[in-house]
Amino acid sequence: MNSRERVLAMLAGEPVDQLVLMPITMMFAADVIGAQYRDYALDHRVLVEAQIAVAEKYHFDYVSCISDPAREAADCGANIQLFDNQPPGLDEQRALLADKTALAKLKIPDPLGGGRMTDRVQAAALFKTKAGQSKFIEGWIEGPCAQAADLRGINSLMTDFFDDPAFVRELFEFVLEMELKFARVQIEAGADIIGVGDAAASLVGPALYEEFVLPFEKRMVDGLHALGTRVRLHICGNTRRILKGMGSLGCEIVDLDLAPLDEARRQMGNQILLGNLNPVRILRDGTTADVTHAIAECHRQAGARFIVGAGCEVPRGTPENNLLALAAYARSHAP
Amino acid sequence: MQDLKQLYQAVLDGNAKLSKSVTEAAIAEGVDPQKLVTEFMIPAMDEAGRRYECGDFFVPELLIAARAMKASLEIIRPLLTAQGTQPVGRVVIGTVKGDLHDIGKNLVAAMLEGGGFEVNDLGVDVAPEKFAAAAREKNATIVALSALLTTTMPSMKATVEALKAAGVRNHVKIMIGGAPVTQKYADEIGADGYSESAASAVTLARRLMAA
Ligand code: B12
Repeated sequence: MNSRERVLAMLAGEPVDQLVLMPITMMFAADVIGAQYRDYALDHRVLVEAQIAVAEKYHFDYVSCISDPAREAADCGANIQLFDNQPPGLDEQRALLADKTALAKLKIPDPLGGGRMTDRVQAAALFKTKAGQSKFIEGWIEGPCAQAADLRGINSLMTDFFDDPAFVRELFEFVLEMELKFARVQIEAGADIIGVGDAAASLVGPALYEEFVLPFEKRMVDGLHALGTRVRLHICGNTRRILKGMGSLGCEIVDLDLAPLDEARRQMGNQILLGNLNPVRILRDGTTADVTHAIAECHRQAGARFIVGAGCEVPRGTPENNLLALAAYARSHAP
Repeated sequence: MQDLKQLYQAVLDGNAKLSKSVTEAAIAEGVDPQKLVTEFMIPAMDEAGRRYECGDFFVPELLIAARAMKASLEIIRPLLTAQGTQPVGRVVIGTVKGDLHDIGKNLVAAMLEGGGFEVNDLGVDVAPEKFAAAAREKNATIVALSALLTTTMPSMKATVEALKAAGVRNHVKIMIGGAPVTQKYADEIGADGYSESAASAVTLARRLMAA
């Protein structure tokens, strides 16, 4: 079984020879080929080269288009801060929707219009020519809460939930439509799965999550399935209190960061779970023995419906041998 | 008579309109503004922080509580100044260079303000030299640094060095915080204190002022 076949089989519920290995790498990947992160984020050729290099060196089963959450916002016209060797960022002081009335005039950018979204679509296409037979290809979009935060400013969005629920819903509608358009072209270009990053969703607590975020995440996941693709949900941070909702979305893969896997398993039934090796404490700062021990414990808690990965991005500066130890665990164990 | 417990509840509930109107009414009745802060507003923020720690409150609830407190403080601050009440200390706060996370920093700034400190917030991605210049210009007694990324923690060290180079290190106390930061790291880079939450940041700042 090659990597691609392994992931496809796993997601189809068929037997696989080894555990699937899908850790998120971004800055770590750029470092592997000695590229500046600015180039990784702005030029799909650099991203693709780095992802393939990492996947080969560390035996990953997949490659990913993920780089930073600012692509869509940039194409909408937001102010982006560029750093030489870090992900681009958004400036809340000058957020695109600092004035809420701007939403009415905001246009959904054409994802093939030549901006940062197009660059991601080109990454998916280039992956397909370079690794389409051997690796599983992941496209990426932002979830409703994360993207709304990028456009409005995260501090403002957090208070909007109380001040102006109608605005929040209108903004989420905009995001949903934009992200599904973005996903469609990535799928057409060659993405086998779409990752949905909804980082800010871990900040709102169960009541607001269920009232506002979950319904839009559900429509997003359903929309992606209607486009014929698969879905990986990634919410960074502590999602312990919203596990049930996350499990109700019907995603092919749900990532876990700071929420316990055993609890997730209890609350999410048969869901495929990915994670949740502590990225900094274990993967970057631990020994190879710590890594092996911790991932074995994750595997034990999650059971057979399990994909090997860290809770979040593999941190820059992670020792080579630690990531190799993670790979060795996946390569030497069946689900 | 205003029921001052209402002020406590308004801040805790994040009801800025109510906290403002109760504050105005209480002041009109001659209640000591300092008493409003120390006996009602700060305890409300402490309770909000406690609820956050145990998972009853989340970030949105904390942010609206802080906003309600600030609404009242805006009324109270000029009165305290007019009374000649000096701020407990002058804080320059910011998120360090390369780092854009500011929710935690904003909460710490709000709590310090509630705790009677004068707060100058430099925002995010603040260069070491900018901290140093602001510390001198504002005659700061405390410089507070926030970082959420392991990759930007070294900017904290660089900021400590910049304060030394600018000759202000001995005039200020440096406190640091943010999820990946530890007491050990604070000791390593020669900062004066670390605290893990916005509520305990105020206690820390008071202790540093007394030291
Ligand atoms: C929201 C968020 C974002 C938002 C930030 C928006 C904003 N305006 O703040 C966005 C989407 C922009 C973002 C971007 C990134 N993020 Co981010 N983000 C988060 C998230 C989800 C929440 C952070 C937060 O606000 N917590 C809530 C506040 C209240 O807590 P807090 O900040 O810890 O503050 C408390 C205490 O620490 C303390 N405190 C804080 N500051 C100070 C200062 C002093 C002086 C004191 C005394 C105390 C103190 O008091 C506060 C209140 O109690 C976390 C994951 C998580 N759930 O923790 C990741 C996380 C911090 N991000 C992470 C990463 C990797 C990134 C990116 C690099 C991702 C990428 N590749 O694009 C970029 C970097 C951008 C940049 N250059 O900064 C990682 C950091 C890993 C690491 N340890 O290095 C985390 C932990 C996610 C993860 N699991 O990997 N992120």
